[in-house]
This record gives sequence, structure tokens and C-alpha cells, in this order.
Amino acid sequence: MKLIELYDVYKIYNEGYENEVRALDGVSLTIDRGEFVAIIGASGSGKSTLMNILGCLDVPTYGDYYLDGEYVGDLTDRQLSRIRNREIGFVFQGFNLISALNAYENVELPLIYLGVGASKRYGMTMAALERVGLEDRAEHKPSEMSGGQQQRVAIARAIATGANMIMADEPTGALDSKTGRQVLEILHGLNRDGTTIILITHDSQIAATANRIIRISDGRIIYDGAREAAGL
Amino acid sequence: MIKKITQAFKMAFKSIFSNKVRMVLTMLGIIIGITSVIVMVSVVQGQNKALKEYYESMGTNQINVYAWQGSGRDITMKLYDYCLGLDDLVLGVTPNGYAWSQNGIKYRTLSTNNNQEYGSPQISLGSDQFSVCNNFTIAKGRDISWLDVKNYKQVVVLGSKVAEYLFQYKNPIGETVNIGNYPFTVIGVYEAKGGSSDTSSLFGGYDIYGYMNYIAVVPYTVNRLLNGNQPIEQFTVKAASKEATNEVITKLDGFLSGLIDNKNGYYYIYSANQAIESSDAQNRMMSLVLGGIAGISLLVGGIGIMNIMLVTVSERTREIGIRKAIGGSRKSIILQFLIEAAVICLMGGLVGLMLGYAGTLIAGKLLLKTTLLPSVPLSLGAMGFSVLLGMIFGLYPAIKASGLQPVEALRAD
Repeated sequence: MKLIELYDVYKIYNEGYENEVRALDGVSLTIDRGEFVAIIGASGSGKSTLMNILGCLDVPTYGDYYLDGEYVGDLTDRQLSRIRNREIGFVFQGFNLISALNAYENVELPLIYLGVGASKRYGMTMAALERVGLEDRAEHKPSEMSGGQQQRVAIARAIATGANMIMADEPTGALDSKTGRQVLEILHGLNRDGTTIILITHDSQIAATANRIIRISDGRIIYDGAREAAGL
Repeated sequence: MIKKITQAFKMAFKSIFSNKVRMVLTMLGIIIGITSVIVMVSVVQGQNKALKEYYESMGTNQINVYAWQGSGRDITMKLYDYCLGLDDLVLGVTPNGYAWSQNGIKYRTLSTNNNQEYGSPQISLGSDQFSVCNNFTIAKGRDISWLDVKNYKQVVVLGSKVAEYLFQYKNPIGETVNIGNYPFTVIGVYEAKGGSSDTSSLFGGYDIYGYMNYIAVVPYTVNRLLNGNQPIEQFTVKAASKEATNEVITKLDGFLSGLIDNKNGYYYIYSANQAIESSDAQNRMMSLVLGGIAGISLLVGGIGIMNIMLVTVSERTREIGIRKAIGGSRKSIILQFLIEAAVICLMGGLVGLMLGYAGTLIAGKLLLKTTLLPSVPLSLGAMGFSVLLGMIFGLYPAIKASGLQPVEALRAD
């Protein structure tokens, strides 16, 4: 079943000017539910732009995007924030936790935006923290945790509302290889439970753990297929 | 919705208290503004109340008449009869003349036969309606009667302070007091007058209530005895109501213009109601001016809030991006920043209210010698206004925050 359909999508900055930049230059792809896809490419290849568009954080200049069969271009701000809240979980390279809030409060935040009642919220927040093995760090502020722990809090936040798709932009980029593997293992565990994972990386070793590889260069897809044939 | 708002309040408190020094500095403008509004307006209101009390103790609906017919003729009886003829419009009429020092005789000194002496009281020449016209009540003995007036009786009614001074704890009724060399029998003592606040600050250090208690009233017909050929020129007419006051003034004007020849004499009619109205208007003006000045300081405080909120928005761009990425809508971001600004102002307003109460108490004690507190509508108004201020000045930064594209906001450092 198709979760993501992208048809001929462009993202062009300064269009028509001398310094025109085509971050995405005619990208079409489909991703099914339950897939584990790695999007790889050098820095500046357009992979982060692609993720931002897939995650409804940015809008394409041209082209059509259907998420779960719905045309994203027609959605209002409220509907988009609802989708980011319920359907998509984000994991960033720099963790992007709110530093004034502790782990529990960071994970709780999307549930507050969803409007979950306080009693139910506690259970859901703790369940998400348990899923990443950090239930005993609930009271800690981001500054009191290691990078790996912070990234696991970010993953807990991404899954707190039961999102069925996770967009991970260089999730291991700021971590050493050991904790990077731990984070990757959590993502694979979530994928085994049915969550669609879209992983963006420039590290071919990390990408090699995915079933499907999409390689991007200069805003175009130059390879889309199984890992085995990608030569990783 | 209510749940979301309480959540937004929690978030607001959290982010406000994460930077306490900045919070206090931001609030300072609001605190000073609210404090000064409350103290200034309360003091003006308290002063107005004290003035009103004073005028009321003198008696409202009072009309003062100054009239002089020339060539030593006395118009007292004519005015008296005319006013009594006005029936329902007039409650009373009395001369309001004084005894002056004459021919070296100390008429302005009261003494008892025990040589207890009291200097410079106000010795008033009144009719049987003196107490009605001037809002005096009898505490002991009796008032001056029409027969006392008619028969040139040498009787006197004393003000409370005078009686206290001359006779201490003795009953003064039936005792003799000498005005100059003339003996007068004390027939009554007036009830002490006083308001809730000391009016000395309003009347250049004059204790006006005390002044009204240092009085001695004698039948006006003894005028010739005390003042010789000098006629009484000052009268007080008490109208039945506020409405009647103007009518009586018109009638008196007609009556006096027929009676007094402009070439030889003059007359002048003055109503205390006008004084009360003009002092009311003056106080309203004062409140407006002072309130306006304080309002400007509040405005400056509000701009300070906007400034800080704008700084906060650009400092927290990344946080806003994160919030948007995990599902915060425009509305929820606006709500968050708006509530933050309103909460800052509300807290500043509360502190200002407390300081305002303290300031009003101190100013009341120092200036009016009374326990002065801000009125409830003033307090509530000031609070409401400070929250409104926060909302107004928080709106622009909030809209600015909510309008950020999530991807751009996330890119910020």
C-alpha cells in the first residue's frame, strides 16, 4: 500500500535569477507502508530538502505530493500540523530537543498538541520512553544526557503519538559509532513493528542496513532499488 | 480548548521563569506604571472625598448672600421675611455676621466669671435658623429661639471646643460668658463636627473642622450691642433641595435687585453647590491628567514587553521550529506567546497592585492623615488594563513567531 507518492517535484531557489539553485530537479518516487528506505547522497545533493518536503516541513515549488492518498498541496496549516503531529515523527542530526524541558516534557509535547488528557498522556509518554530504554531518565534535562540518550529521547518523542512514519535526517551523524548503532537498532525495531522509516544519510555503512536505497545527486534520483544492487 | 489553554499557561510559566532576571526587568515598566496609576488616582479620589465631606458638613444647598444697602441700613428682617415667604423652597435663613473688635473693647474674647479666658473664637450673629442653615446640631441644652431674637436676649450657644475649653467637665448650661463686657447666658452646646480625614492639607494647614467647633452663636439682634451701627452684610439661606437652590438664587436675585440701589450698595449671591461642582470637575481633570501621565508610563512598559517578546521570538526561533515540526499549529504558537506576554503583564500588574496599595496607604497617612485604600473598580481596572496591554503588545511578536516556516526555523542556530 502506497504511503508516499511524489510526482515530478521541483524545489527551486531564486528561480529565474543568475544564482538559481535547483535543490530538487524533477523527483518522482513512491514509498509503501512498512518500508525501510535510505536516501543517500553527498552533502548538498538535495536529500535534506527531499526529507523536508516528505515531512511537510517545506513545500515544493512544482510537482505533486500525495501522502496516504491525500494531496498535500491542498492542506491548511492546521491539517499540516495535524499530520506532522500524528503521522510523521522526526529525528534530526542535532536532536532538536527543547533545552528548557526535561526528557519527559519533551516527549509529552506532541501529545499536548494532540490534545491527549493528562492521565492518558502520562502512560503514553512513559511507554515511549520505555521503548527507547530511558524511563529512568525522564527527569533529566537534555544538557544532562549524552548524545545517544538525547537522540533516543528524540525518537521517543517521534513515536509518542503513534506516528507510522519516521523521518530520520542523519540520526547518527553526531554520535560515535557504538551509540549510532544503538540508535539504528531502535529504528529497525520500530520498522519490524510496522513503522515506515525514511533514513537520510551520507554514510554508506548506515545506509547498508536499509532494504531499499535511493541515491540522489544534484537534485535528481540516480538510483532507486534494492540494497543488494546498489553496490553497498 | 480549556485544556489547551491551561497547558499554554503552564508552558508560559515555565519559559518565563527560565529567565528570572529578564522577567523582573520586563515587568518593571508595568509594575511602575500600575503602582503610579493606583497611587495617584487613589490620592486624588481620597482628596475629593475629603473635600466633599467638608462641604457636606457645612451643609449642602447652602446659598451665601452678601448684601449692603448703604448708609447703615439693615436688611436682615426684610430678607428673613422674604425667605420665609418662599415656603417649601427654603429650609432656613440666618445672618452669618461676626462680632468685630471695636473701640478697643475685646469683643472677640470670651471669658467666664472664673476668669477662664478664650481668645479669638468666631462669634457669629445668627437667627433661630442658624443651626439648620449650617448643619449644626445641639448636643446639650437648647438652640436659639425666635423669642431670643425678638427680645434681644443675651444668650449664647457654644461650639464644642469652646465649651470644653471654658468649662472643662462642668455643665456650661446656665453659666455666664462675657463677650467683651457684656454677659451672655449659655443656653446650649453644639455637637462636635468632623470628617473622617484631616483637611488641613486641603486648606493650607487650617484645621477647618476644628475651626467650626471654635464658634459661639448669639441672636443677631444683639448686633447693635457688639458692632454698633455696622449692619450685618452676610447671610446664609438653606434651600430645600439641589433643584430648589437655583430657583431660590433667581428669586433672591430679583428680590435684592429691587431692594438695593446699585449706586449706594451692592449684593452678591454665591452657592456652595457651585463650589462642590467646580471642585468635582477640577478633581476629575486632576484624575485624568495624573491618570494620563501614569498611562504613558504603562504604554512605555508595554513597548518594553513587546521589545522583549520580539527578542524572545528570535532567540527561540529554533524552538518554534521544533514545536511546529512535532505538531504545533500557528494557533497554538500564537496562543503560547500571547499568554506569555499576558502572564508577564499580569504578574507585573499584581506586584504593581500590591505596591500601589502600600503607596496609597502611606500617601493617605502623610497627606490626608487618614486610612486611604484604592477603590475596587480602580484595582480591577488596572489589572484588566495590564493584561490587555500584554495581549496588545504581545500580539505582533506572537504573529511573527507563528508565521515562521518550520524548515527555516529549524535551520536557525
